[in-house]
Amino acid sequence: MIAIFQREFFGILRLRRAVVAIVAMALCSGLLVLARWPSEGLVDLSGSQARQVFRIFTYGMLAGVLLLAPAWPATSFVQERRRGTLALLFNTPLSKLAIYAGKFSGVLAFTGLLLVTSLPAAAACYAMGGVDLWQDLGSVALVLLVATLEYVAIGLLVSTFAGSTDAAVRTTYAAVFSLCFLTLGPHYFLQGQPGWMPFAAAWLRRVSPLPVLMHLVGQGSIGSQGLMESSSGLPEYLLASVAVTLAVMAATLLQLHSGIFDRSRSQGVITDEQSLGVRAARRVFFLVDPQRRSAGIPFWLNPVMVKEFRTRRFGRLHWILRLVAACAVVSLLTTLAATTGTVDWGVETIGGLLVIFQVLLMVLLTPSLSAGLISGERESGGWDLLRMTRLSGWQLAVGKLMSVAWTLLLVLLATLPGYIVMIAIKPVMWLQVSLVIVCLLLTTLVTLAVSAAVGSLFARTTTSTVSAYVVLLAMFFGPLLVWLGRDAPFGYEVVQAALAITPAAAALSVIGMPGFEQYELIPLSWWVAAGVTAVSFGILSARIWRLMRPS
Amino acid sequence: MISTAGPVVVTHELTKRYGEFTALDSLSFMLDRGQILGFIGPNGAGKTTTIKILVGLMRPTSGSASIAGADCVRDARRIKRLVGFMPDTFGSYDNMRVREYLDFFGAAFGIGRRERTRRIDEVLDTTGSTYMRDRYVESLSHGMKQRIGVARTLLHDPDVLILDEPANGLDPQARIEMRELLLKLADMGKTLIVTSHILPELSRICNVVAIMTKGTLRAFGTLDQIMQAIRQRRTFEVQLVEAAKAPEVASAVMRGLDESEQRSVAAHDAEAVVRFQTSRSDADLADLLGGLVRANLGVAQFREVPTDLEDAFLTVTRES
Repeated sequence: MIAIFQREFFGILRLRRAVVAIVAMALCSGLLVLARWPSEGLVDLSGSQARQVFRIFTYGMLAGVLLLAPAWPATSFVQERRRGTLALLFNTPLSKLAIYAGKFSGVLAFTGLLLVTSLPAAAACYAMGGVDLWQDLGSVALVLLVATLEYVAIGLLVSTFAGSTDAAVRTTYAAVFSLCFLTLGPHYFLQGQPGWMPFAAAWLRRVSPLPVLMHLVGQGSIGSQGLMESSSGLPEYLLASVAVTLAVMAATLLQLHSGIFDRSRSQGVITDEQSLGVRAARRVFFLVDPQRRSAGIPFWLNPVMVKEFRTRRFGRLHWILRLVAACAVVSLLTTLAATTGTVDWGVETIGGLLVIFQVLLMVLLTPSLSAGLISGERESGGWDLLRMTRLSGWQLAVGKLMSVAWTLLLVLLATLPGYIVMIAIKPVMWLQVSLVIVCLLLTTLVTLAVSAAVGSLFARTTTSTVSAYVVLLAMFFGPLLVWLGRDAPFGYEVVQAALAITPAAAALSVIGMPGFEQYELIPLSWWVAAGVTAVSFGILSARIWRLMRPS
Repeated sequence: MISTAGPVVVTHELTKRYGEFTALDSLSFMLDRGQILGFIGPNGAGKTTTIKILVGLMRPTSGSASIAGADCVRDARRIKRLVGFMPDTFGSYDNMRVREYLDFFGAAFGIGRRERTRRIDEVLDTTGSTYMRDRYVESLSHGMKQRIGVARTLLHDPDVLILDEPANGLDPQARIEMRELLLKLADMGKTLIVTSHILPELSRICNVVAIMTKGTLRAFGTLDQIMQAIRQRRTFEVQLVEAAKAPEVASAVMRGLDESEQRSVAAHDAEAVVRFQTSRSDADLADLLGGLVRANLGVAQFREVPTDLEDAFLTVTRES
């Protein structure tokens, strides 16, 4: 176990991106504190300034854990399996538990190291006074540590069944963000109602560290809608999180057997030769039979775009239809639940929820689709083959970007029915809804352009995907951290400037979501989005031009 | 279609440097239409660099390379049309069937839909891969993938095929099939440049061989020409009826050789063979053989041991 720990821990430390992560974490935590450090030499006897600094520091640390903790465990087992070293490990006298424990502790030690780099900033918070060492700093550290344990365990579990490193990274980030944010949704709808479902939703919410951290920094509870909560929820969070971690660890250990190497490869069954009845039945079930022999690429379609759709696991037409149908159903259900389940909510809150749902979908989906557009080809050796064809760099870029853009547009369109219901309830909102749709289209463009540009800078898909996620999440959720500190420590001007970075905030402001309605973000936000998109496409074009040239 | 007269592939003083390191040093050679060039050399010899320059993926530091008159750097579009390139990595895409995979590359080469369908059937037939057409690319074995790789290079009917390690990692059966396939392509009038570490395979199919080490071309020509150029001494064997006569025969042979050649004489009692190396002419060797026969030493056979590509390769690389 010690040997595996050493190899895992020092192996990560030798990576350049690990050094970048450590330096970035230390710098960011320091800068977060410095940004709100009092400029005048006056003593704040109430300690409110210290708590403002502490609040920013806590949210920054949570963002750091969310963004950095899943990246390393997610690739751990899958990378070993693909290199063939996992089979060598299984062939040693080490037990599966020892292998797992070695890997877990190695990755955890590195993540712990990342957290340790923030200690000087934490000490600065404490030195300001007004922050209790155990009650505040200790509790926050405990929550972050437990969250880290949970995310490392999830990353390792995903790593055991993922087929490739970038798929593992995508799935892990999706799982971690779902646990952190989506678990808050049911409670938001059901709180205050009788029955077992609100109770279950309240416990589900405990899996997320966000409510407990908000309580610890004195910001009430997210989505509490004015309902008071008596406790911080720390013991419940610890219990729920530890239970999830243990369950995930057990599942990972069950996955670690020789069957991990014994995965059959589908040879591909073609249904064209099957009977008419079977084909008709499959047509009804799938709408588009995925096992039917596909037609050749027509001259009017970009072959790269078609190739991208065909090679994507969920890119085939039947999967896109299912995705669109699921999004439409969720959109309508959200609206239905909101309009029938509560009488207190305005249409604005419902619209705000829809916007949040759509933005989350875009931010989580886009990097997984577009970050590896170039790096995936370079990694698989396909890039040189594409360079040898008659396709120009422009055709390549357009084909690849359009394959993602169409998927995102379909998903976006599928979530629009909720707005139609809103306009039916309150017809005067049509202008607001139109502006929101423009904001969402810009959000789609920005996410696509930024993740494709960031992804093109790297030769490995995993690095591209992680980097694109970090940049996009920082872009979209960073301003929300500033928004959380509205009134104090950040003034109106600062919050407005921060929110202008993301068109999602503009959409929330236009729809009149409580907390956002006072900010005037349009047209500044649109200009910023257009500028970021143009710069990102510029970077992408330059990268493709450079990569297409003889080296 | 390129002209049948004159060389198809020409490189002149081709050089590639990375800072202080010279990957390719003044490489010059010519290759005629329909020939198969075996490009051999140890790892890092500059083979892949040469290939990448020829297919337009890399720019030389100096010198020039052309294929059928098209400059490999300036006429990139013509080069793409003229050359089919199979790199040492397959470049596979997940979730794609073989026919879809070829269809994509056909479309990327600008082949019309109807023509593409016909070409796909043709190249699958040529490479003996028709039965794989509905299978997922990632489910294919290594040998199958190599054949699909060759099929892909043939899609746009190029005149020159450049194949980087096509036999690498193949089992003996697949290797034989690949050899037959390459010979079939040469019969179709294609010019082939093939790199490989499996030298016996190359020697069976190549008309011309180029041996490179440390970025420099050490030998170029037909196998016979290379042997003549690099081998000053030939190896001979005297097969005896009785093993007991071996020491006596070895002494007789040594008397007929120069002092420097005498050290190469070795009697192998177990095989009843005496082996030696010499640079003497055939007339001198005839005298030597006559002497052995007249001495009644029981000579069953007197033969020259053929030198193969492996010997040539080892000789060249050791000298360099």
